[in-house]
Amino acid sequence: MNYTSFFKAEWLSLLRRKQDTLNALLFFVMVITLFPLGVDPSSEFLAPAAGGIIWCATALSVLMAVEGLFKEDFNDGSLEQWLASGLSVSVLVLLKVLAQWLMVMVPLLLALPVLAQMLFLPWSSLLTVMGSLLLGTPALFLIGAIGAALTVSLRRGAVLMLLLILPLYIPVIIFATGAIRAAQLQMSVSGQLAILAAMSIVALALAPVMTAISIKASVN
Amino acid sequence: MQKSVNLQVNQLYLERGDRDLCQDLTFSVTSGELVRVAGENGAGKSSLMKALLGWLPIESGQIEYKGEDVTVHRDVLLADQLYLGHTPGIKTVLTPLENLRLYCPEASLQALEQALEHVQLGPYADIPAAQLSAGQKRRVALARLWLTDKPLWLLDEPFTALDHAGVLALEAHIKTHLDSGGAVMLTTHQTLLTLSAKTVELAAA
Repeated sequence: MNYTSFFKAEWLSLLRRKQDTLNALLFFVMVITLFPLGVDPSSEFLAPAAGGIIWCATALSVLMAVEGLFKEDFNDGSLEQWLASGLSVSVLVLLKVLAQWLMVMVPLLLALPVLAQMLFLPWSSLLTVMGSLLLGTPALFLIGAIGAALTVSLRRGAVLMLLLILPLYIPVIIFATGAIRAAQLQMSVSGQLAILAAMSIVALALAPVMTAISIKASVN
Repeated sequence: MQKSVNLQVNQLYLERGDRDLCQDLTFSVTSGELVRVAGENGAGKSSLMKALLGWLPIESGQIEYKGEDVTVHRDVLLADQLYLGHTPGIKTVLTPLENLRLYCPEASLQALEQALEHVQLGPYADIPAAQLSAGQKRRVALARLWLTDKPLWLLDEPFTALDHAGVLALEAHIKTHLDSGGAVMLTTHQTLLTLSAKTVELAAA
């Protein structure tokens, strides 16, 4: 096993299990479609709320996607093979999260312009929404990976994982929606986006290591 | 190149939860040796493998590989071993060929196909592993043994779900490996058909 063959195999298995990824995307689309119907479909309400709706829907679909991130690897013994391979487990985790991120976020970002119109999001702030998603979601995936690794050996770990992870998602959501609100008020968004990027970079540095430690603890 | 293996386990003491798994376990695995870890269910055979690989903390005792304490330097041991566990890491959405390519990226397509032939999986090379039987899935993992040049094989229950011919083929391959200076440590409840092994007995405390 080497890093290239690992990434290829991960990518291939994600492609073979398209329905899991599509579920997350479908969930995202459904929340955004149903929200206006349930609250208030007028543009006066939706336009200012659009950023919040999009980000909550994203956070929930990311949670769906990462919840079982290592479940199959745990059950089929792949995690043991990662540890026995002599490769850095942190790098393997990073590659796996990268593949998952691409698989979920690329279709989501492609669908976003259409969905944003359903929420009357002004075109001028669409770019900020996309930027906040690009900069903020890596943190969501990486933090989620820690939770997924910690709970992988538990039979019903999903709820515990939500409790562990959701508090850590809150700052990301606050700064992301803050950036979108600032964009709608024609204010500068670079501050909030910089903080989002900082959170993703910190997660990038710490989360793979912590995930690797959790995986090692889960395997015995 | 002659393979060399020298694994020494001295007075190893393992426990899991509150249960003692082994006390004062001393044995060695050297080139050309086949070591069979025996013991009833739950005696700690798999845990012993995991302790060697460093996933289970050892309470006391030493494990040395080529003269180095593995709790300090595990890299040498990790670079020299091939471990196949109870669940050998076969992805069910991938085909046997793709699974092998994941673990043996250096091997040519021809070598991969040959390895699958050795475990009688030639015709199944392009079928998703989910559709294979338990024994066939295990054969996919075992095919790695035909592609590797790692000297030390750690095999946890390699014969489970294999048919008679499969067991014979694997034993024959283990024999060639031992003759070339490699070493094998395996756990099994079955009696070995053609091989003679040094037995390490794990007594349940």
